[in-house]
Amino acid sequence: MISVKGLKKHYQVKQRPPGLAAALTALFSPQTKTVKAVDGIDFDIEPGARVGFLGPNGAGKTTTLKVLSGLLYQSDGSVTVDGHVPQRRDAAFLKKIMLVMGQKQQLLWDLPPSETFELNRAIYEVPRPAFDQRLAELTELLELGDLVNKPTRTLSLGERMKCELVAALVHGPRVLFMDEPTIGLDVSMQVVMRDFIRRYNEKYGATLILTSHYMDDVAALCPRVIVIDKGQLSYDGSLEALAKKVRPEKRVTFRWSSAVDPEVLSRFGRVVSSQAGEAVFQLPQASVKDAVGKVLATLPVADLTVENPPLEEVMSELFSRSRAAQKPVEAAS
Amino acid sequence: MGRYVTLLRMQLRASALLAAQYRWDFLIDGALSLFWAATAVIPLFVVYTEGRASIPGWSFDEAMMVVGWFILVQGVLEGAINPGLAAVVDHIRKGTLDFVLLKPADAQFLVSTSRFQLWRVASLLTALTIFGVVFNRLGRAPALLDIGLSVLLMWVAVLTLYSMWILIISAAFYVVKIDNLNYLFTSIFDAGRWPISVFKGGLRLLFTFVVPLALMTTFPAEALLGRMGSSTLAISVSAALVFATASRWVWRKSLRHYTSASS
Repeated sequence: MISVKGLKKHYQVKQRPPGLAAALTALFSPQTKTVKAVDGIDFDIEPGARVGFLGPNGAGKTTTLKVLSGLLYQSDGSVTVDGHVPQRRDAAFLKKIMLVMGQKQQLLWDLPPSETFELNRAIYEVPRPAFDQRLAELTELLELGDLVNKPTRTLSLGERMKCELVAALVHGPRVLFMDEPTIGLDVSMQVVMRDFIRRYNEKYGATLILTSHYMDDVAALCPRVIVIDKGQLSYDGSLEALAKKVRPEKRVTFRWSSAVDPEVLSRFGRVVSSQAGEAVFQLPQASVKDAVGKVLATLPVADLTVENPPLEEVMSELFSRSRAAQKPVEAAS
Repeated sequence: MGRYVTLLRMQLRASALLAAQYRWDFLIDGALSLFWAATAVIPLFVVYTEGRASIPGWSFDEAMMVVGWFILVQGVLEGAINPGLAAVVDHIRKGTLDFVLLKPADAQFLVSTSRFQLWRVASLLTALTIFGVVFNRLGRAPALLDIGLSVLLMWVAVLTLYSMWILIISAAFYVVKIDNLNYLFTSIFDAGRWPISVFKGGLRLLFTFVVPLALMTTFPAEALLGRMGSSTLAISVSAALVFATASRWVWRKSLRHYTSASS
């Protein structure tokens, strides 16, 4: 469905040091530097797959998404989406895709969302019966009710985002590009959005590429993740395998039935946190059984849980490792 | 083609809904449109009532005809061309042009028709009233052929003005803020209320060939008065086609330069 080979996107960016003198100099002799937003990445995505793009801010995720959707011209490499070259932006391609951006909106601000839906119906040439049926289905799935007839500006962020999704889906796209679709939403609204996206993918076999800083979005939706960092692909595989690779330890939480001297805890392994009545250890997978046995035998344990480390921490560690390992990729020119 | 007519109808409908959304805005906008249309004729009264018929080759009534065309073309600019295209600058700055470019329809058409100020129809009515008054004072009716020619020249004027606006907006892809450029052109356009013979030397060349104000107001007025030569018509049509082709080319080239705003 999606094939990316040797994709590069480099920008020339003007650069000047602070100060008035530097500003005046830059007026007559501007200095530029090359920013390598994406610097040679390859991947293939099967039809119907749900893939998450992960990476710190400025890693190149959104740039890659915009090249895939035909908004940006790549500097080098080849990209095809369902047999189309995105940059040609031919109508057949544009009718197959959609792009939702959590930080930007296409709804007409002063008019009800239903007006945007109608406009999109005309632009995408969706036959009336198909449009009515799809709209009824989307409205029900997202529990929109009469909201679509209220001016957009009067809707809450969550309600607006739901309507943005409908506006992006009225033409029944087969490829969904979603750039932080749940940003700023409360937890329950995030869950609604995730459920909806998964159901749409399962029902229509649509291919999904998602970027999100909320690891819960990625964990709930994307069996496969692609990690992009400083414009390069640093991991492509399952989220679970990535977590194991980065943080092979388990996190064991003990709750005590009576007071425990914090001084003795370090004898059993690395203590992540210790509060009254509770302690959290981070233990290598191989030694979990042994360490837990020892704690159970010597301390007053009321309850215990064994978990993988939180994904946010896994990602944070992954990105900080890569920052330490890689040299800056900008080259002055 | 039929599809684009449908799209235009839908965009017009959205603009009408938008105008009706806020009652006071609607009324104030209407009153202002009438006021501005009426004030456009004032400078001419000032010149002619001081007893100096200072525009060579143009009587007061004939010069009034140019003002009529100026009001009409200005109405098209403010009612149909500028609202949609001015929003492009914002789209570029915020990165929301993404949504336009992702639609399976011509992006230039979509942005150009995205917003109309329907109250500027008042300008059209004012212009028609002026034409009626002028011919009444001249004691004759315009010839049918002259009406046809002036309608043709109206489209030529609109196409030229629209193309110039596309060229200005295209600059926003490179420099983002084009407020000054927009302001400069709006100020220059104001000179279109005078017959081109008012200007001498460099200014006359500027307003005929570079910013062809003559083509937008003086020539249509001459056509309606029945005194336009066939060579002027040929030059006007050719100039409009050149501007249209150039602006389309520049627009497409500029789109390639669009980098979108980051999220």
